[in-house]
Amino acid sequence: MHPAPVLYAIRIHGHLGATVLSAFPALVPQHHGADTVLTGLLDRSALYGVLAEVEALGLDLVEIRQLTPPRKSPESGDSRSP
Amino acid sequence: MNAAPATSRLIDRSDLLAALNRAAAGKVTIISAPAGSGKTSLLRTWADRPGQPHQLAVVQVQRDQHDAQQFWLALLSAVRQASGEADGAEPPAATPDFNAPAMVDRVLSELADARGDITLVIDDVHELNSPEALSQLTRLLANLPPNVHAILATRHDLRLHLHRLRLAGELVEVRAADLRFTESETRELLHASGINLSEAGIALLYGRTEGWAAGLRLAAISLAGHPDPERFVTEFSGSDRTVAEYLIAEMLERQPADVQDLLLRTSLLDRVNGELADLLTGRSGSEGILLELEDADAFVVSLDPGRTWFRYHHLFGDLLRLELRRALPEEVPALHRRAAGWFIQHGQVVDAIRHTQAAGDWSDAARLLADHSFSLTLDGHAQTIQALVRAFPKGACANNSELALVRAMGDLDHGRLDDAAAHLAVAETHVQTAPPDRQRRLQVAIASLRLSLARRRGHLAGVLEQVRFLAAPVTGQSDEDIALGSDLRAVALMNLGTVEAWSLGLPEAERHLQEGADLARKIGRPYLEVGCLAQLGFASKIRPFATARRRCQEAIALAERHGWGAEPVVAPALVTLAGTMIWTGEFDEGERWVQRAATALQADTGPDIRLLLHQAIGILQAGRGRHHEALEEFTAAERLRSQLEGSHALASQVTGWMLATQARFGMPGEARAALATLDDERASSGEIRNARAVFSLAEGDPAGALGALADVLDGMAPVIGYVTVVEAHLLAGLAHRELGDQRAANQAAERALALAEADRLVLPFAMTGSRELLEALPRHETAHAALLTDILDVLHGSPLTAQDQRSSPQTEELSPTELRVLRYLPTNLSRPEIASELSVSVNTVNTHVRSIYAKLQAGDRSSAVQRARELRCCRQALRVSTVT
Repeated sequence: MHPAPVLYAIRIHGHLGATVLSAFPALVPQHHGADTVLTGLLDRSALYGVLAEVEALGLDLVEIRQLTPPRKSPESGDSRSP
Repeated sequence: MNAAPATSRLIDRSDLLAALNRAAAGKVTIISAPAGSGKTSLLRTWADRPGQPHQLAVVQVQRDQHDAQQFWLALLSAVRQASGEADGAEPPAATPDFNAPAMVDRVLSELADARGDITLVIDDVHELNSPEALSQLTRLLANLPPNVHAILATRHDLRLHLHRLRLAGELVEVRAADLRFTESETRELLHASGINLSEAGIALLYGRTEGWAAGLRLAAISLAGHPDPERFVTEFSGSDRTVAEYLIAEMLERQPADVQDLLLRTSLLDRVNGELADLLTGRSGSEGILLELEDADAFVVSLDPGRTWFRYHHLFGDLLRLELRRALPEEVPALHRRAAGWFIQHGQVVDAIRHTQAAGDWSDAARLLADHSFSLTLDGHAQTIQALVRAFPKGACANNSELALVRAMGDLDHGRLDDAAAHLAVAETHVQTAPPDRQRRLQVAIASLRLSLARRRGHLAGVLEQVRFLAAPVTGQSDEDIALGSDLRAVALMNLGTVEAWSLGLPEAERHLQEGADLARKIGRPYLEVGCLAQLGFASKIRPFATARRRCQEAIALAERHGWGAEPVVAPALVTLAGTMIWTGEFDEGERWVQRAATALQADTGPDIRLLLHQAIGILQAGRGRHHEALEEFTAAERLRSQLEGSHALASQVTGWMLATQARFGMPGEARAALATLDDERASSGEIRNARAVFSLAEGDPAGALGALADVLDGMAPVIGYVTVVEAHLLAGLAHRELGDQRAANQAAERALALAEADRLVLPFAMTGSRELLEALPRHETAHAALLTDILDVLHGSPLTAQDQRSSPQTEELSPTELRVLRYLPTNLSRPEIASELSVSVNTVNTHVRSIYAKLQAGDRSSAVQRARELRCCRQALRVSTVT
C-alpha cells in the first residue's frame, strides 16, 4: 500500500474532449496517437475515484501505469515529489 | 422499464433474446457489461416480447444506493406486484431497525407462495453500495424457489458468491461481447430508424462504434433527418474523439436551444418532471420537451405509467452534468438551491438535503437533516441518513450541534455507545448558541437520545430527572413543525416510558407508553405504536399475567400486520409473553415465543433486551429440570447485567437465580464469593436473600435458611414481584422439612400455592425443587388441589399445553350435576360409592358418566379425567375431586 500519492499514467483510447476532461481536474492530458494519457499524482482512493469516472463515462481503458517506484523505507518519505 | 412502452426503434435481436430465454431455464442470469452496452434496452425488449410467460418483478437500483432497506423494500413491493399480492395487503413498511436476514426470508417466502413463474429483474446492481445488501442478495439468489428466475444487469462484475450456482450450471452470464451489435443488426437498426445509408457508410459507422449500442443509438438520432448522412459518418469516422463525447456533442448541437438548455440544467437531478424542469430553466412547456425526447429515444426514459417523471440514461446524464459544470459553473449552486426548495415543498426530504449539500449550503443542510432525522429514521432511511452525514466536509461542521445530534443517532443505531455519548455532549454544549426558536426542539431531541443511550447502558437512575420536561408537548407554529414535533414527541414518550419500565416498573411507565402509543396511532406511525405497545407489554410484568399477555399479544398482532413480527422492536413483547407462558408451566408454547424473540434479536444487540432473553431461556431450562443449561443462561444474563452501568429492573433476580443455581449444583464457593461482592442495597433484596437461603439449604443449615428468609416472608425486604415471595415460602417449606417440622412445611407450601393461584404460577415450584414438599402435602389440607395437580404434572415432566389449545377443540359444556359426578372420577371410588356419596341412584351416575364421556370425547374414566384437566372446563370440580 502507498499511503502517499504516486504518479500514475492512465491511457484511454480516443481523444478526450473538454467535457470529459473536466471529470479529471487533477490529471494532465496528453494525446499519444489515437489515445489520451492522463497523468497525475494519486493516492489509492483517488485512483479508484478516477477508475469509477472512467467506468461511468464509458471510456475505453487501455493501460494504467505507475511512474514512481514505490518507496521502500520510511526515511525517504519526505522526498515525496519525483 | 416496467412502465414505458417499447419503442419501435428497439430492434429484434433474436439471437440475444433466444439466449435469454434459454438462460431463463436456470436460476440466475447476469448481464455484465460497461455503460451504454444496451443492457436495459435488451431487458426491455425481452420483457415486452409477445407471449412472455413470466410475471416480471422489476427493480431499478437507485443511483449510489447505500441503503439496504430501501433496496429490499423496492424489491419486496416489485415481487408483490408481480405475484398480484399488492392489492389489499399493507404496503411493505420501513422500520428504523432493519433486519436484513428476516427481510430476505420474507421475500423468499412471498416468491415461493406466488402462483406461476416469476422473473426477478434487477437493473443497475452496480449502484448498490451496501456490502450488507450484496451479501443478502447472494443468499436470495442461491435460494430462489423453483418458479423464480433472476436477471441482474450491472456495469461491472459483482462481488456475489455464486460458485455453487455456476458449478451446477444454473448461472448464465451475458457479457459485453455478446451485447455488441453485429453489422447486420446495425443495418437493421438504421432501417428501423428510417435512415438511408450506403453499405460503405454502414461499414464505416459499424467500424467506428465497434457495435457499441449507445454509440449506434446516438448516431441514429443525429442521422435521422440529417441533410447528408454519408458526410456525418465520414466525419465521425475521421475523428479521434471518443465515441460517446463526439456523438453527444453532435446530438446536442442539433437540438433547439431551449432543449439543449433544459437537458443541461436538469442534468443535476437524478429524476426530473415537467414542473421541476420549468423551475430550473425558468421557462414553461418542459414536460412536452421531455415527452418528445423520450419518443425520439433520445436517452430520456419515463419512470411511471403516467409519464410524469423521467430520468436520463446514466452515461448521457453524466456527460451532460460535466458539460453543465463547464458551461455554466456559476449557476450550478443556484440550480441546486432551486431544486432543494422544490423537493422540500413536496416532502422529498432526502433529495432536498442532497441538493442543499451540493449547493454548498452546509449549515442549512445540517439543519434540515437534524429536523427530519427522527422522521427519516422512522421512514426507514437510517442508512441514507448516515450516507448524508458522511457527505459533509470534515471540519466544516465540527461544532455543529445539529450534525452532532444526527451523528449520535447513527452511533446509537450501531451500538457505538461511547461515540454516541461524545456526540451528544457536543450537541449539548452548542445548543445554547442555537437560535432560540430551535433550542427547544434540539433539547427534546437530545433528551430523547440521552434516554435511548441510558437505556442501552442500563444507566437509568440519574437520567430521568433531567428529562421530565419531555412529557410536555412540543409547541410548533406550522403544520410541518407540528408533524415533526409529533414524531419527536412520540419517540420521546417511548424512550421515557421504556426507561421508566426498565428502572423498576415505575407506574408512570405504563402511562407514558400508552400515551406514546395513542399519539403514534393518531399521527400514523405504526412502528412507534408497536414500539410503545411492546414496551408496555414488558412494563405490564408487574400486572396480572392475563393483562401482560393481552398487551403483548396486541403489540405482536399489530407488528405482524406490518410485517415486523420478527423485528427487534417487538422483542420486549415476545420475551415477556414467553415469560408468562414459562411461569405458568406452558413450556412448549413458551419455547416457541422465546425462539421468535431470539430471531428478532439477531440483529439488535442491546445488552438489556438480550439479558431478558437469556433469563427467559434460563427459566425455561430450569423449569424443565435442565439445570446446567439454565445455569449457562443465567450466567450469560448476569454477564450482560454487569455491562449495564446502573441498577436494572430485574438485576437482583438475575443475580439471585444465578447464585442459587450455582449453589444447588455444587458450586457454593463461587456463589459465596460472588455474594460477598454485592453492595448492601442489592444484598438486602428479597431475591438475594432467597439465594442466601438456597446456600444454607445446600450447606445443610436449614435454620440459617429460615433466618435469611425472615425479612422476605414478613414483607420487610424489597422484592421485584410476588413471585419472589412464593419462592421464599417454598424455600421455607424445604427448610422446615429438613428440620422435621412437617406441619410448618405444609403451611409454607399452602401459602405458596395460595399466592400462586391468581396467576396459576408453576415455575417457582420447579425452580426450588419443591416436588417432595408438595407430594407430602395432604390433599385435604389444601384449597388449591387443581393447581397442585397441574404443578405436579409439570414436575413429573409433562408440561401444560397453552390456553388457546385447551379451549380449541369445541366441547359441549358439562351440566352442574355432571360436574358434581366428574369430581369423583379421579378418585378410587366405584360408581355405587359415588352414587351413595351424592345420594343418587347408580343408574343416574351411569347416565351422567356416559354423558361426560360423550361430551369430553373420552373412552374411559382416566382419559375423561385427563381431558377434563386439559380443558380446565371443570376446575372447581377437580379441586374437590382430589380429596381421597
